[in-house]
Amino acid sequence: MSHPAASAEGVTKRFGATVALDGVDFDVALGEIHAVVGENGAGKSTLIRILGGVHRPDGGVIRVDGEQRHFANPRDAIAAGIVTIPQELRLVPALSIAENIALGDLPVRRFGPLAMVDRARMREEARALLGELDFDPDPRAPVASLGFAERQLVAIAKALRRRCRVFILDEPTAALEKREIARLFSVLARMKQQGTAVIYISHRLDEVVAIADRCTVLRDGRVAAVAVRGVFSVSDLVAAMTGRAAQEAITASLPSGEPLLVAQPDGAATLCVREREVIGLAGLLGSGTSRMIRGLFGAASEPTIVEVNGDKRRLASPADAIAAGIGMVPGERSLGLIMNQSVRDNILLPNLDALSRIGWLNHYAGDRIVAELMELVDIRPRQPELKASALSGGNQQKVILAKWLARRVAVLLLDDPTQGIDVAAKVQIHALIRDVVARGGGALIQSSDLGELARLCDCVLAVRQGRIVAGLDRTAGIDEPKLRSAIGG
Amino acid sequence: MPLISLIVLCAATALLTNRFLSPFNLTNILVQSSIMAVIAMGMTFVIVGGGFDLSVGSTAALSGCIASMVMLDGGIVAGVVAGIIAGAAVGLANGLVIAFLNVNPFITTLGTMVLVRGVVFLITSGAPVSGDTGLPAEFIAFGSDRFLGIHYLVWVPAVLLAVLSFVMHATPYGRRIYATGGGREAAYLSGVPVRRVIASTYVWCGALAGVAGVMLAARLQSGQPTAGEFYELTAIAAVVLGGASLQGGEGTLYKSVIGVFIMIVLGNALNLLNVDSYWQRVAVGAVIIAAAAAERLRSRR
Repeated sequence: MSHPAASAEGVTKRFGATVALDGVDFDVALGEIHAVVGENGAGKSTLIRILGGVHRPDGGVIRVDGEQRHFANPRDAIAAGIVTIPQELRLVPALSIAENIALGDLPVRRFGPLAMVDRARMREEARALLGELDFDPDPRAPVASLGFAERQLVAIAKALRRRCRVFILDEPTAALEKREIARLFSVLARMKQQGTAVIYISHRLDEVVAIADRCTVLRDGRVAAVAVRGVFSVSDLVAAMTGRAAQEAITASLPSGEPLLVAQPDGAATLCVREREVIGLAGLLGSGTSRMIRGLFGAASEPTIVEVNGDKRRLASPADAIAAGIGMVPGERSLGLIMNQSVRDNILLPNLDALSRIGWLNHYAGDRIVAELMELVDIRPRQPELKASALSGGNQQKVILAKWLARRVAVLLLDDPTQGIDVAAKVQIHALIRDVVARGGGALIQSSDLGELARLCDCVLAVRQGRIVAGLDRTAGIDEPKLRSAIGG
Repeated sequence: MPLISLIVLCAATALLTNRFLSPFNLTNILVQSSIMAVIAMGMTFVIVGGGFDLSVGSTAALSGCIASMVMLDGGIVAGVVAGIIAGAAVGLANGLVIAFLNVNPFITTLGTMVLVRGVVFLITSGAPVSGDTGLPAEFIAFGSDRFLGIHYLVWVPAVLLAVLSFVMHATPYGRRIYATGGGREAAYLSGVPVRRVIASTYVWCGALAGVAGVMLAARLQSGQPTAGEFYELTAIAAVVLGGASLQGGEGTLYKSVIGVFIMIVLGNALNLLNVDSYWQRVAVGAVIIAAAAAERLRSRR
């Protein structure tokens, strides 16, 4: 029998007192797409970082083509034919597409002792590699001029050029639209046919079911299940990940109350968030939904005029919006948190004035509130002094929510709050949003996940090119297909 | 970590030369450190807020000269106040340009460093300011006398350290400086008025450079237009030795003061050991780089 393209045998990794991986066996064969799923903190990232040479295992063996390997750094792993395409693509925006693909191994023409970059060959290579991916840009264009999906193709082409045999894709579809996902999948299918091994990390379990030949489920640093194509479903995976059956029922909508927030986010149509109401904004990437959320939080370049509880307010900065009782969960978690500061300091940041008397911060009251909120929103681990950067994505998002819950904001604005978050944390965050609403608050949510909007919202406004073009109401029924056609996706 | 380095440095020096622990030498170290400590505290505000200030040395000279000039006619209090206000004004100018015009702090303060030094030479015609009969005797006494056995010059940073540590750690304003330096956009989206916070850190830095300039004038018994040269570099080195991150968001006042002690003790030790002054520079530069590299290696774990 031939050896697997790459394998991990009994791999263990500890970070301080935390055991991230505990005797994990994993392998991927040539011509196979092997998905790895698990909740945040289950060990997915650690596993792929070990395979990619970022971390060294504390125990166990890594083999490539049956031979034991020790990777000292990512360069060793790439030399062994294992390449990782991370979520944040490591491309140089100012350099051209061709240069990015060739970077690290530029084709040169030699004139005695002199070496000159062979630009013509570099462009030809880039064109050929991208052609295989059905992508035909001008290779001289800077990468900065490309959208995310196209940059991803450039990153893949770069890996193909290195003749890599094992690809690790970390959350590749997190920022892609449906059409782009379909293109990526056809690229992966072709790579598989050509005999490449693909390790596919994703939170989107429907995708995993659609493309994976095999799926390994990690839970608490151990392999909870390995399933082959055809015998697993989304709910099986969720059950294996969480150790319990998934349950997120659509809750009945509550009778809405007085208007909390009234605004014209596109300058024409009126948006109204009432008490006990979740309003959704649906739109394709770049349609302006994120910008509307930022605008309503006073974070746009121009001040916004809104009506909060019937009072006209001019929001020139987030500070104005916060004073008016509005909170926002931004699209990127690095914008919601000060990463090098503690969970405690992050939760207290918008609440400092409320917690101080004559300029003196009441640390005791602060600690109490932080402890209460960490319990309420279930931030793990319960260590208020831990730096925000040390938390998993789902827990970071809970810290951001806790910031605003501590203020008891009237209106919560959410910009794609569950992007890149595992299913269990997603369910918890949805429950927290409903909680805010049930206690008389209102929420306005923008999401790339139309299913999420359909489940969560009482009313969804469809946005195209910065304009609200339609409204769908819960009473008339909201579902993904209806939303998709409303936003033109 | 910085404290351990300081203790090791002192112990090693004490073993190598018995002159190190003499009361005269220790007093000398305290007095030398006092002025730099005041500057380093201001620098800590700026660096924690995510910025950088090269203009403190020139600002200290400006404040010393203005304080001396005003003092000759208007009395000590007016002179001291004028000196500190002059420092704060330079800081405010820096802060406004950096926070509201978004000019790079390195460039802005490089500009003010040169500009302010030029202004100092203009207003003093390049000569020391001490009038015909010298600065007031009480002011000169402040530069050399003691209270409870400790120099007045040493009391100044001691009191400032206590008060300013409280400001940075126990007030909402202080926490906002850390938040702004740690992640400007995230702080903005949490309602922190980041521009005002950033500008304010430069005002602190300028005002404290002003205080240091007045102390320096008292010690030198005149306003010296050339005073304070390279102070900015020593202060930045001290803050970094104290563990602050030039990325912003990290740093502590008392650790910066320990960083100052490390710099001053190091210079003192090299002097006592009769190390050639050219080699002293080489050694100090190497220590700064080594300390910063050690800190990086440590934080990588």
